[in-house]
Amino acid sequence: MVKRERGYTMMEIVVTLAVFGIFLMIVVILTAEMRANEKRYPINYMAHPEVSAVMARMRKDVFDTKYYPATFQSYQQTPKTLILYTLRQTGFGETVVYDFRSSGEVHRKGFNASEQTTDWVAHGLPDFTIGSFTLGTGQDAVRIKALDDQNRLAIDEIFVPRPHD
Amino acid sequence: MRKSRGFSLIEVLVGLLILTIVITTTISMFAERQKRMRFANETILAYQALSNEAEIWRRIDFASLDGQPPTFQSDTSILAPMAPFSTSVRVDTTRADLKNVTLTVRWSNARRTAKLAIVRVDTGGSSLW
Repeated sequence: MVKRERGYTMMEIVVTLAVFGIFLMIVVILTAEMRANEKRYPINYMAHPEVSAVMARMRKDVFDTKYYPATFQSYQQTPKTLILYTLRQTGFGETVVYDFRSSGEVHRKGFNASEQTTDWVAHGLPDFTIGSFTLGTGQDAVRIKALDDQNRLAIDEIFVPRPHD
Repeated sequence: MRKSRGFSLIEVLVGLLILTIVITTTISMFAERQKRMRFANETILAYQALSNEAEIWRRIDFASLDGQPPTFQSDTSILAPMAPFSTSVRVDTTRADLKNVTLTVRWSNARRTAKLAIVRVDTGGSSLW
């Protein structure tokens, strides 16, 4: 007896291709949406613990700042260097330098008079730039910005010192 | 002679049902994750703008609060990925010496909103607080 061999019917192939096509369409749509979101939104640096630590320390330091020295030792106020004269919990003053000149890291250096007392470092940071921002009251604030690798504005925060008597 | 049989209709249907449930669940989880990631990104951007604007409204002279334009005065470039968006500021006088300032960012055709409220008190002192 000759065995009769049969392949798939046209209907079976059409149904299989249709199901596969629908599945493929959903995957393509979701992937396209994911790509569109990636292009549209900057990198969420604030979810990075070291970035949020830098922002928190800087916010606190600026909040307690009495004034911004133009220079301190070899440092100058630039978009990559922030110099603050701030108050410590002891009530005495401290000069604090945020040095963003090395790519991807910041040094927060604390000085008691001319002697350096602390050096805190954070790594894996975006490219921060520091600017000034003057409020309507004439108060000078610090504006810190960071762009991501696609030059999209990812961080833009204003820190304002509290009034001192 | 052994009779060769394929799967029954019920077996095929149950198999397809299980496969459909697995695929649908996976895809919907993926889509939900995407949506939540987008909302998280938008919320973080919105609160940066709200925080900056709060610094400005915290320092406007108490007596001048009502006369301010009801929109954000700070730079809102950070909100660009959420365009079109709108910002608004509402000042409610709850007591003669107390005003509530509510800052709002709306986006996604006003379906999404982020708010930040600050309280201003007339202390009779400097206008910095």
